[in-house]
Amino acid sequence: MPQPVQYRGMALIVPDNDSEWKEFYEHARAHRLVARKCNACGLMRYPPTHACPWCMDLGWTWQEVSGRGTIYSYEIVAHAIQPGFKEMTPYAVVLVELDEQRGQPTPDEALRVIANLVKVDFTAESEADVAIGKRVRVVFQDLADHMALPQFTLTEEPAAGRVWRLPE
Amino acid sequence: MVVQSRGLRDKYCIVGVGETEYSRASARTTRAMAVEAIRKAILDAGLKAADVDGMLDYQGGDSTLANSVASDLGIRFNFYMDVMGGGSSTEALVGLAMGAIEAGMCNTVAIYRSMNGYSEFRIGGTGARAAQPVRGLDLAQVPYGMRSAGQNFAPTFMRHMYEYGTTSEQVAHVRVAHSKHASQNPKALLKQRVTVQDVLASRWIVKPLHLLDCCVETDNATCIIVTSAERARNLRHRPVYIMGVAGRVSKPRLDFHWAHGPISRVAGYYAKDIIFPQAGIGPEDVHVTGSYDAFTFTTMLQLEEYGFCKKGEGGAYVSSGIIELGGKRPNNTSGSHLCEGYTHGMSMVIENVRQLRGAVDDYCPRAAEGVHTYDYSPGHCRQVKDAEITMNLGWAMPATGSALIMRR
Repeated sequence: MPQPVQYRGMALIVPDNDSEWKEFYEHARAHRLVARKCNACGLMRYPPTHACPWCMDLGWTWQEVSGRGTIYSYEIVAHAIQPGFKEMTPYAVVLVELDEQRGQPTPDEALRVIANLVKVDFTAESEADVAIGKRVRVVFQDLADHMALPQFTLTEEPAAGRVWRLPE
Repeated sequence: MVVQSRGLRDKYCIVGVGETEYSRASARTTRAMAVEAIRKAILDAGLKAADVDGMLDYQGGDSTLANSVASDLGIRFNFYMDVMGGGSSTEALVGLAMGAIEAGMCNTVAIYRSMNGYSEFRIGGTGARAAQPVRGLDLAQVPYGMRSAGQNFAPTFMRHMYEYGTTSEQVAHVRVAHSKHASQNPKALLKQRVTVQDVLASRWIVKPLHLLDCCVETDNATCIIVTSAERARNLRHRPVYIMGVAGRVSKPRLDFHWAHGPISRVAGYYAKDIIFPQAGIGPEDVHVTGSYDAFTFTTMLQLEEYGFCKKGEGGAYVSSGIIELGGKRPNNTSGSHLCEGYTHGMSMVIENVRQLRGAVDDYCPRAAEGVHTYDYSPGHCRQVKDAEITMNLGWAMPATGSALIMRR
């Protein structure tokens, strides 16, 4: 089993028999964001799971996605629980809706990913710039030879729909 | 999918309730606290240890199992199970207790939760739990500094504000109401009444949650006893009848509910269609609610989803005065998790049992005799006059919840 990856005081463990995450993180280390795509119905899902939640088929392949999306919701952590995050506060956790498969197979469904909203040096994005509706793209924070964390950063694209942030 | 009611309305009762002190430093084991709470509930019901032959409890690797506490009390089981779970487990286990009795497995079930939720295992993940390795599904959130309950729920709360214009000021009224109620509760940890401004001026924890939007982690044990209505009629108190129960009803994709919106929707969206037909009533018939307040927002979201107001109007509902003592439908009259102490939900069922008995333990001079003044100024009464039907709305997370309707 590979050594746990140390990140911000946490031990991230992806053992060799982890049939959900191991290859996901290897793709991420190659700076590819992937989702599992059902061999039967063609719908993608995240996080990695073993059967298709829409048709229950067991067959799947990794499918690379663009990594572009829109902030669907967010939070600003002012009081960190994990000690390793204290120096990062205030930091944004964003729920990103990816461009692929929006509103499929029903209008309320989408590929959505949790990550931090970061600057290109992986420090926390300024709180004033975090808002629902803003456009983002994936960036990869390399943690080890076999693992990188997908993160998101703001792009220059115009916002998608109404831009909203918590009033001061 | 339609869930068929099984005709069990009013056939089971909660006959005994008990709890330990709410504290931040119990200085004893969860075993010791569980024994005290169960013993109090048995005595409250007018039962003996030999009358209790079933036990259910819930925990998250932070408590003592039923085999130990039952042995301490001299209870021999015909049925017991230890269940993994936190908030919303109480109501679900009431249903499972009814099922066990209905199946002829046992006669009377004690349900308990015992936790040193501040001094030993903090639910928020502070302390020892922050050092646990991260693996499996946790990898989708925890490496991003999303670990505690507040951090896990906040994007749901934020999206509700975006979609419906809900404001921090509106939701702060939940804390205001529950602090008012706690000021009438000798057991409450935080008895001081607070204002909307106090909530908004308290420090940010995880936006949109201020410190006072969050509950108070507590050491405490609680117990309720469920038995059949026939047995209940011969016991110490006026029976409190179970009209309906829904247990750990969930949204789709509950392992990562962000995938299936709207994320401002909570599990009550599904649970209401199970429990109201069982009980044969609607929200307008309920006199007192017990909407789980891990956070101010959880109370608001559930009241809205179960139909106490229209979807999206939860902010207006909780800031209208309706949920306060003296209002049309008070919520969490003990002060509950925000003010009395955080206990994973059973305390809110206990409070509603006492409301239906007409016997809450407030500051009224003759409270012990069931005589109340209905003076809701600070330090007096918290009994709701003529409370006949109560409803508990249990919360585990946006994607999972339970509910319980009781009557006197």
